[in-house]
Amino acid sequence: MKKISTAIKTVFALCIALISVSSCIQDEPLNAECDIVAVILPDGLLNRQPRIDNDKITLIVKKDVSVIALAPEFELTPGATIEPPSGTVRNFLFPQKYVVTSQDGQWSKEYTVTVQRSNTFSLDYGFENVRQKDALGGICSYDVFYEVGTAGNETLTWASANPAFALTLQGSTPSTFPTYQVEDGVVGKCVALTTRSTGSFGNRAGKPMAAGNLFIGDFDMENAMNNPLQSTHFGAPFENEPAYMSGYYKYVPGETYCEPDADGKLVPVPGKTDMFNLYAVLFEVKDGAEWLDGTNVLAEDNQQIISTATLPDRHSSSEWVEFNVPFVLRPGKSIDKEKLSQGKYSLAIVFSSSEDGDFFCGAIGSTLWVDEVSISCVDE
Amino acid sequence: MKNRIMKIRKYIGALLAVATLGTEPAAAKDFWHTAIDYEVNAGTNIGGASPLPLPAEIRHIDSYSPDLNLQIGARVRKWLSNDLRWGVAVGLRFETKGMRTDATVKNYGMEIIDNGKKLSGRWTGKVHTKYHSQQLVFPITATYRLNDKVVFNLGPYLAYAFTNDFEGNVHNGYLREGSPTGDKVSFEDDSKATYDFGENLRKFHWGLQGGVSWMAYKRLVVNANLEWGCNSIFESSFKTVSFNLYPIYLNVGFGYVFN
Repeated sequence: MKKISTAIKTVFALCIALISVSSCIQDEPLNAECDIVAVILPDGLLNRQPRIDNDKITLIVKKDVSVIALAPEFELTPGATIEPPSGTVRNFLFPQKYVVTSQDGQWSKEYTVTVQRSNTFSLDYGFENVRQKDALGGICSYDVFYEVGTAGNETLTWASANPAFALTLQGSTPSTFPTYQVEDGVVGKCVALTTRSTGSFGNRAGKPMAAGNLFIGDFDMENAMNNPLQSTHFGAPFENEPAYMSGYYKYVPGETYCEPDADGKLVPVPGKTDMFNLYAVLFEVKDGAEWLDGTNVLAEDNQQIISTATLPDRHSSSEWVEFNVPFVLRPGKSIDKEKLSQGKYSLAIVFSSSEDGDFFCGAIGSTLWVDEVSISCVDE
Repeated sequence: MKNRIMKIRKYIGALLAVATLGTEPAAAKDFWHTAIDYEVNAGTNIGGASPLPLPAEIRHIDSYSPDLNLQIGARVRKWLSNDLRWGVAVGLRFETKGMRTDATVKNYGMEIIDNGKKLSGRWTGKVHTKYHSQQLVFPITATYRLNDKVVFNLGPYLAYAFTNDFEGNVHNGYLREGSPTGDKVSFEDDSKATYDFGENLRKFHWGLQGGVSWMAYKRLVVNANLEWGCNSIFESSFKTVSFNLYPIYLNVGFGYVFN
């Protein structure tokens, strides 16, 4: 009997030993990431918090700050190194490059750091300029719209949710994305926005459609899946008093208006037709509230909003519709010239092919074309 | 009762003879009727499909459940030596292999394929995995009788998986698109990305099994066998999961032996 139990014990011990030897957690590998996670400049220089993207950083400084000799300090992924080192004095009249190398030494990333003074915002938007940005290792590419000034310099980069649409694997060429450039504008080319299906990936993630959008501000890719409403950071510093927004649009709604059900699957809503949106908002920047997002940009009770320009009669049209709408002050609000000149206000211009697209409601195929948008300001 | 056992015995004998030999030679009649016993058994599989060793990307196993994996089978055993010490056994059993795991990973390679395109990247965060497979397993083992009570067995097995599921999701973490330098996309709270690799699981497997049977009471035997897969559960062309997952299961059960 003793022999038996010894034999059984031996077999069990062997099994347990084999399983446990094979299941040991190994030592943690060194970090492979090489991010700049924070930028530090002396107090009082910045007009907005640093904008940190995956390979570029935008620092918006106050108007009177000299950018010839700045020494930004960088906080990196733990263990990563940066060249030139954090705190090096450099001339930011031109964008400067930094290279960050990961702790494991196998990965590195080049960042372009641009310092902007906040009084360089263009007022006329012709949507003539795009650059193609590759995504997913080059299997797809999308348009990034920008405006150039009279000197040929880039004065404004428009934001869109195209980078997040790339992740759905539904895009290939730029015109298969929700936001893209087309010929046949009122003058030259124009921007087209189309509400797209996000395919099975988007469906499984409970985000079954993507409205085409284009806006002044930044798109927060990192939060696009978590919280799409908060991933659109609307607004950029604006130091003039806007009076009118003018331009042209065309709109053809998609055939079937749908809403997501509790499981995130689209279900048709009979009798409902999709509608676009196109508006501008001037708002005051507060600490910790430097931008508006999908949750509050149109909120009636948002105390940051100073004035809005909206279209009173939006309608479908396959011909260009001209508009020229005033900025209307919110009740009890006025523009403080002092704050205006200090860069305490931001302007957001927002176009969307489905007005409720941020809640994944709309019609696949709805398309909005926009061209020759212009902001006119009150003369000083 | 006797009659029924005879029937079962004939049935198992025939099944195994067909499975092993295809045709039964005339001279085998005596062979199959001396120093031979049969067993029907049932049990449960405890284990999982595990990488060997665990890659460094896996930082923590947060939870593991073997699921309820039932096993039912039969075997025939022929003693070859006159002292009935050495023999050979062939069997056929139906079993399920499964597991559910939750793991925390760092910089773990992953891919999502959809619309003919591939999204690949590195995931840092939580991974939930569910594996479930129904298989027919055909072991051929050498047996060694230690004494009246204890018999060891060791040998290879072949398995055919007729259903295969491998699915799960990633959540509470972030993806770096393409490589550790790519765009960062975070999935927090309810946000998750699901995957289903069931189509990429291997249908035919082989491996080794070894263990011990203990004659607990007259004809009742208690069995413990370790089944160690020599193939990854995935087809070799499947590269999304960058390491091999080997099915390793401990079968524990009981059987009824007769001759």
